[in-house]
Amino acid sequence: MNLTGPDGADEVILSLEDVSRIYGEEVQVRALDGVSMEIRAGEFVSIVGPSGSGKSTMLGLLGILDLPTHGVIRVRGVDAAELADAERSRLRGEAIGFVFQQFHLIPHLTALGNVETALLYRGLSSRQRRGRAMEALEQVGLGARHDHRPVQLSGGEQQRVAIARAITTQPGVVLADEPTGALDSRNAENVLQIFHDLQTPDRAICIVTHDLHVADSARRKISMLDGRIVSDEQLVRS
Amino acid sequence: MRRVREVIGVAVSGLTSRKVRTLLIMLGPVLGVAAIVAAIGINESSKGHLKAKLQELGTDLIVVNASAGFGFGQDPVIEAAAVGRVGRLPDVVAVTGTRQMSDIVTVPFAGAEDYYRAFPVPVIATGLDLPSTLEVPLVSGRFLNEFDESSGARVAVIGRDLADEYGYLRGESRTIELNGLQYGVVGVLDYVLLEPSMDSAVFLTFTAAMEDWGLDDPDPSRLYVRAPVNTRLVAQEIPTVVSLGGPDGANASVPTDLLDAQSQVDESLNNLTKMMGGLALIVGGVGIANVMSISVIQRSSEIGIRRALGHSRSTIAIQFLFEALVVGVLGGIVGAGVGAGVVWGVAEQRGYTMVLSVVGLAGWALVSVGVAVVAGLYPSTKAARLEPLETLRLG
Repeated sequence: MNLTGPDGADEVILSLEDVSRIYGEEVQVRALDGVSMEIRAGEFVSIVGPSGSGKSTMLGLLGILDLPTHGVIRVRGVDAAELADAERSRLRGEAIGFVFQQFHLIPHLTALGNVETALLYRGLSSRQRRGRAMEALEQVGLGARHDHRPVQLSGGEQQRVAIARAITTQPGVVLADEPTGALDSRNAENVLQIFHDLQTPDRAICIVTHDLHVADSARRKISMLDGRIVSDEQLVRS
Repeated sequence: MRRVREVIGVAVSGLTSRKVRTLLIMLGPVLGVAAIVAAIGINESSKGHLKAKLQELGTDLIVVNASAGFGFGQDPVIEAAAVGRVGRLPDVVAVTGTRQMSDIVTVPFAGAEDYYRAFPVPVIATGLDLPSTLEVPLVSGRFLNEFDESSGARVAVIGRDLADEYGYLRGESRTIELNGLQYGVVGVLDYVLLEPSMDSAVFLTFTAAMEDWGLDDPDPSRLYVRAPVNTRLVAQEIPTVVSLGGPDGANASVPTDLLDAQSQVDESLNNLTKMMGGLALIVGGVGIANVMSISVIQRSSEIGIRRALGHSRSTIAIQFLFEALVVGVLGGIVGAGVGAGVVWGVAEQRGYTMVLSVVGLAGWALVSVGVAVVAGLYPSTKAARLEPLETLRLG
């Protein structure tokens, strides 16, 4: 198991150390069972596995939206469980970007407003916020649609806005949950290409997916089953 | 500071994106504040009006009415000699007796007989000091004087409303017909606020009343007494002074006390309206809590994504609290405005001077803010406690 990224960048952004997540009190469900892994800067990782294999739980933990029952999650070396909510939230906002299957854009805000939401409460002036959000929208090719609301955008476009929102904070890692799951094949391809374009030596991409085509386009593929990692392999890109 | 601006921005955009709902939840605080402000404002304005009226009338006038003694079948009177006794009381500066005559049809001008037979004007025999006792000036001419009284001349003074109906011109020599007898009009008395019936009355001397209308003696049935100091004490003494312990009684009252009592009545009505307004505010608060709780559920995905973007629980709570705050502030301002408008309208309609405390307006608007914030506490705590993983429905 080679944990050093192929690009040579080796800063560990996220790490799970023997992490378990157990749900329920009376009837306990072990959604994640003693998992250890690291995500380093510059990596493009896919996590695959059947429903119930624990990949969503893992994504929630990687994004410190949830905390483990046992084990330690470190974000840039900081133990997430040690932090109070406000600090953990700030760390999440700074280090991690999220893209979801259902886009989760805020319906009453424009594309630009949605991207700007990620930049709130960071001491930026509204001009700086707008500038950076605009930059991110242009990066995903939607600069001209910045004043459109989500209902005025197609699914693919909405997902691109969500991606702009995830990258505008310049996070170390973008965590994506089935980002192509709600899209037709042409839009899915487009979005996948954007993810590839977004990968830089200091930014990792981590996609949870059912789609083998998406999974195989990654450089590293983690397969899960019953809350455990069953394989973690580097792929050679054709 | 920037953070506060950002939170306000997020709260306002959350509210403006659901305008109808925002307006509906604002209705509670608006109605509550408007009701309270209107209740207080109308009460203050009408009290101010009463106070002004009290000031105008003076609070030192006593009205004494004859009350029935042992005699039946005749109107109770106060014997004429009692007028002098009351006048000699210390602290009494003026006293005048009057007696309203009956069965006299007054016709101010030819052709109006039917009307004035149906609606007879009061004919009052009076002492000569009525204007100075009531502190009411004459609009024109003079009041009845000693010569009129000693000679029993057929002269009259008329009230101002009657003069208007009569078409009386200033300084004009006119007569007025009482049961066919012509009386010369020598003067017009100004409005008597305390006795509005005098505004359309005809005033005669007691001598004329005895000579022409069969009055047996110059006994008044009512006394007007002016006592600038110890008014109430004087009012208490008067019945004894009038009756001298005999059977002919009298009741003395200070009419302005009635106005005072009237303002007390308004006070209790006012409290009731305030309570209703308070109730409306509380119901409004419950409405805010209710609608916002539902809103938190509807917006759970928004809350989840904000958490994922790095907004902390407390930021989310503050965002929702600010939405409640904005509802409270706007509701308070609009409510105060509507209430002030109602007070203005009522004051305008009733001829009051509008009395409205700006501090009071701001105070009640603040109460609305307080209610809204308290109402927002529960939904915002609920929003902060939402688990992002549960709302984001990861695949």
